[in-house]
Amino acid sequence: MEAAKMASPKSAPKDAQVMAQILKDMGITEYEPRVINQMLEFAYRYVTTILEDAKIYSSHAKKSSVDADDVRLAIQCRTDQSFTSPPPRDFLLDIARQKNQTPLPLIKPYSGPRLPPDRYCLTAPNYRLKSLQKKVSSTAGRITVPRLSVGAVSSRPSTPTLGTPSAQTVSVSAKVGAPVSLAGQRFTVQIPSSQPTGKSATPTTPTVQNVLINPSLIGPKNILITTNMVPPGAAADPNPLKRKHEDDDDYDAL
Amino acid sequence: DRQTLVAVLQFLRRSNLRESEEILRREARLLGDDLGGSVATVATSSPAVAAVAAVPPGKGEDRGNCGVGSSSRREPGKWGANVLLTASGALRDAGIQGPSSKITHFGEVIGGAVVVEDQPDVSAVLSAYNQQGDPTLYEEYYSGLKHFIECSLDCHRAELSQLFYPLFVHMYLELVYNQHESEAKSFFERFHGDQECYYQDDLRVLSSLTKKEHMKGNETMLDFRTSKFVLRISRDSYQLLKRHLQEKQNNQIWNIVQEHLYIDIFDGMPRSKQQIDAMVGSLAGEAKREANKAKVFFGLLKEPEFDVPLDDEDEEGENEEGKPKKKKPKKDNVGSKSKKQDPNAPPQNRIPLPELKDSDKLDKVMNMKEAARRVRLGPECLPSICFYTFLNAYQGLTAVDITDDSSMIVGGFADSTVRVWSVTPKKLRSVKTAADLSLIDKESDDVLERIMDEKTASELKILYGHSGPVYGTSFSPDRNYLLSCSEDGTVRLWSLQTFTCLVGYKGHNYPVWDTQFSPYGYYFVSGGHDRVARLWATDHYQPLRIFAGHLADVTCTRFHPNSNYIATGSADRTIRLWDVLNGNCVRIFTGHKGPIHSLAFSPNGRFLATGATDGRVLLWDIGHGLMVGELKGHTDTIYALRFSRDGEILASGSMDNTVRLWDAVKAFEDLETDDFTTATGHINLPENSQDLLLGTYMTKSTPVVHLHFTRRNLLLAAGAYSSQ
Repeated sequence: MEAAKMASPKSAPKDAQVMAQILKDMGITEYEPRVINQMLEFAYRYVTTILEDAKIYSSHAKKSSVDADDVRLAIQCRTDQSFTSPPPRDFLLDIARQKNQTPLPLIKPYSGPRLPPDRYCLTAPNYRLKSLQKKVSSTAGRITVPRLSVGAVSSRPSTPTLGTPSAQTVSVSAKVGAPVSLAGQRFTVQIPSSQPTGKSATPTTPTVQNVLINPSLIGPKNILITTNMVPPGAAADPNPLKRKHEDDDDYDAL
Repeated sequence: DRQTLVAVLQFLRRSNLRESEEILRREARLLGDDLGGSVATVATSSPAVAAVAAVPPGKGEDRGNCGVGSSSRREPGKWGANVLLTASGALRDAGIQGPSSKITHFGEVIGGAVVVEDQPDVSAVLSAYNQQGDPTLYEEYYSGLKHFIECSLDCHRAELSQLFYPLFVHMYLELVYNQHESEAKSFFERFHGDQECYYQDDLRVLSSLTKKEHMKGNETMLDFRTSKFVLRISRDSYQLLKRHLQEKQNNQIWNIVQEHLYIDIFDGMPRSKQQIDAMVGSLAGEAKREANKAKVFFGLLKEPEFDVPLDDEDEEGENEEGKPKKKKPKKDNVGSKSKKQDPNAPPQNRIPLPELKDSDKLDKVMNMKEAARRVRLGPECLPSICFYTFLNAYQGLTAVDITDDSSMIVGGFADSTVRVWSVTPKKLRSVKTAADLSLIDKESDDVLERIMDEKTASELKILYGHSGPVYGTSFSPDRNYLLSCSEDGTVRLWSLQTFTCLVGYKGHNYPVWDTQFSPYGYYFVSGGHDRVARLWATDHYQPLRIFAGHLADVTCTRFHPNSNYIATGSADRTIRLWDVLNGNCVRIFTGHKGPIHSLAFSPNGRFLATGATDGRVLLWDIGHGLMVGELKGHTDTIYALRFSRDGEILASGSMDNTVRLWDAVKAFEDLETDDFTTATGHINLPENSQDLLLGTYMTKSTPVVHLHFTRRNLLLAAGAYSSQ
C-alpha cells in the first residue's frame, strides 16, 4: 500500500495506514483519529471470532486443518446473528397494513397513570426482603419496618408471606393518586403479636390478605391507604413452594 | 427466463445449429418488446418453439405444437425448462439425435440451476434484473441516449435529463447483479461524473457495490430497485422520448424505462431546470401527483373555553359557549369563531384523545395568562435569544428537550444517560416514599407540595437505564413523563415524579432516532433505523400504528398540532405525512438533497418547515401539498427548527454554529395557489431568502441542537460546546 496521503504526521503502523486508505476510498474525509483505532480493533475482533468459530467447526468435522468451507460456514453463522439488517419493505408494509386496520382503542377516563399491564412495566421490585420470623420469639417488641427507597415500587399482586405461626404479617398497600406514577407499594412488616401496629390511624379490619385495590382516582388529593391484617392463624400455612430461609442469622436486623 | 434463453442460444451456437439459433434470437427480440406479464412472454415463446420445431420438417412439427400448447399453461418460472424440453423433443423426433440429447441434459441442468440459485426472498427482488442485453453494449446505449438528450430542444432537455440518474443507477446495478464486474466498473467510471451534484453521496455508496453479494444486505438499495423511480415529465417531452426509444436499436433502454421508472405525465409547459432542481433529490424521484391529493385536516382542534380569572380565587370553571363573562385576552382562535366548525379541522372525536384533568385545566389557565403577556414578534421586534450551553459534554450531547412552560430541560447523551435539569430556581424533587406519604395531611391545600420530598431536592437528576446513546427525548405536555429513545432499540418512559423508569417499549429492534409525545399526551411516535415510524400509547406495550413506506431510516418524527397527523423525515430525503387514524400516507414531499433532521409545524397547522443536511429550510403547504418556500443561508445541517408561538418568526439552528430568524408571515403570505399550480404541482420559488432573513446569531463554536420559544416568545436555544 502506498503511504502517500497520511493523516498522522508520524509514521503509523502498516495496518493503520491501510485503514486510513480504506476510509479514504469510501469517501470519508473527516474523522477523529480514534476512529482508525476503533476500526482496527473491530477488524481484528471480527477476524479472530470467525477463525475461532471455523476452528471449532473443522475440529467437529474431524478435519486436520481449517479450510475455506469452515470459514464460510463460520461467516454465515455470524452474519445471521450479529449483522442482521432490518426487515424487507414488503414485510413491513404487510404488518403495517395488519396493524393499521384495527381502530384506535378508546381511552378509559379517570384511570390514573396510564401504563401497560404490570408485566410489561419496569416497576416491579428487583429485590426481595428476607424475613426475620426465626428471631421473633427471641426479640421482643421490635417493629421492623424496612426502609425502602422510593424507586422500589412494587405492584405485585401477591407478596410472599413467609410467616411462622407466632408472627403477624401485615402488608400495607398504598395507592397514590394520579399524577404520581407509583402503582402501589408493598412491604412486609414484622410485628410481634403483643404490640399494635404503629399505624394506628388505620382500622384493623380482618380483610383478606393481598388484595390489590384499584380505586378510581380523579385528582392528586385522593390517597388511599388500606391495611390488611392477617390473623395469626392464616399465616400458619405459608406457601409450601417457598423455600424456608435458614440463613437469617447471617443478616443484620433491619 | 431470459437467462435460460441466452444459455440456449449460446449452446446452439456451440453446437453449430446456426439456423435455429438465428430463429430463436429473432424471437427473443420480439420477447424484449413486450414485458407485460408472464403470460405474454409465454405466448411469445411459443412462436420460438414453433420456429425451432419448424426447422426439422415432418413429425417434429406436431410435437412442437403440442409442446407449445402445454408450455403455455405452465408456471412462468418454469417455462424456460419446458421450452428446452419441447425443443429437444422436437429435434429428437426429427432425427437429430446428438444435439437433442445434449439440449435435454443442458435443460435439466439449467432448470435445476435457475430454481436453486437464489434464496426466495432475494430472488423475488433481484429477479427484476434479468439480462436485458449484451453487457458490453450498455455503455453504448447510455451514451446514445445521452447524445439524443443533449441534442434535443432546450425546453425539453431539462426534463429529459432527469432520466440520466435513475437509468445510470439501474443499469449499473444490473451489470453488478449479473456479475459483469469489469463492465460495471468501466460503466461507472465513464458516466458517474455526468450526474447531478446532489447525487454524489449516493454515487459514492454505489461505487462500493461491486459484487452481487454486496447488494444482498443493503435494504435501502433493495428498496430502490423494487420501487419505481418517479419522474414528472410533460407530455411533449415524453412523446419525444418515446419516439426515440422505440426505434429498434434503443430497445434495451426502453425496457429499463418501462420496468423501473414511473413517468407521471402532465399536460403543460415543460419545467425549467430550476423548477426541477428544487423538487428532485429523493431516492425515489418525485412524488406522484395522486400521492398528494388526499384531504388533510390541517386545522386545529377546538380548545375548551375557559374564563381567565383576573384574580386567582375567582375561577369560574369552563364555559363551552363563546361569550365570555369577563374580560378575556384576545386570542385568535378562541372566542368569536368558536361556534363555526373550521372546515379544515378534524372532528373532535376523530381520534380518541385523553380527557382534560384538573391539573391540565390549571395548566391551560396558566398558559392563557402567559399568552396575555406574550411579546408580539415581527421584523421590527425580534426575540431575545437565551442560549443554554452544555459544557464538558465531550461531544456526547445527542438530544435536548425543554418543557412547554420552560421549567425543565433534559439532555440525552452518548453515554446512555438522560439528565434532567431545572431551568427555574425551583429545584427538582421526587415524591416521598409511601411510608411518609401516609403521614401527610391529605386534605390540605398544598398537598401537591407536601408529597414532595425535600431531602431529594437537587438541580440535576440523572436517569440510568438505556444501553446505548440516547438519540431523542420528549417531555409530556403535563410534565409528568419523559420519553427517551436510544440506539439500543427501546423507547423508555420515565416518571418525573419519582425519577425512575416505568416502561421500556420494545418494537424497533434497531436504533431509534427520534421520539415525540403528542401535544395532548398519551400518544407518542418513534422512528428508527428499521425505516418505519410507530405510534404508541403509554398504556399499550405494542405500537398502535406502523407507518411503513420510507426507503431509508426515519430520522425525525413530529406530531401535527391537532394530533391527527404525523410527519416523518427520512434519510431517503422525503418527508411523509401520515394519518394517525388509519396509517395512510397522505403527503409525500420531495426536494431536499440530504437526510432530513428537523421538522416544525406552524402553530396554525397549515404549514410545515423542514431542515436537512443540505443546509436549506423548505416550507410546505400541507393542504395543497406544495413547496411554498426555500430558505437558503445555513451552510451545514439544520438540527433545530421552531416557529414562534403565533407563527410570525421561524427560527433555525444548525451545525454551523448559528441561529437564524426568518420572517414566516412574509414567506407564507403571497402564495399562488390557483388551479394550475395545485393541479400540476409546479412552483416558481422566488429567490427571496435574503429578504426573509431577519437575523443571524453566531454562537461560540457551539452547534445548535434545540430551539424553544417560551410562552412569552423568548427564544431558548441549546447546544454542547465543542472545542474544535
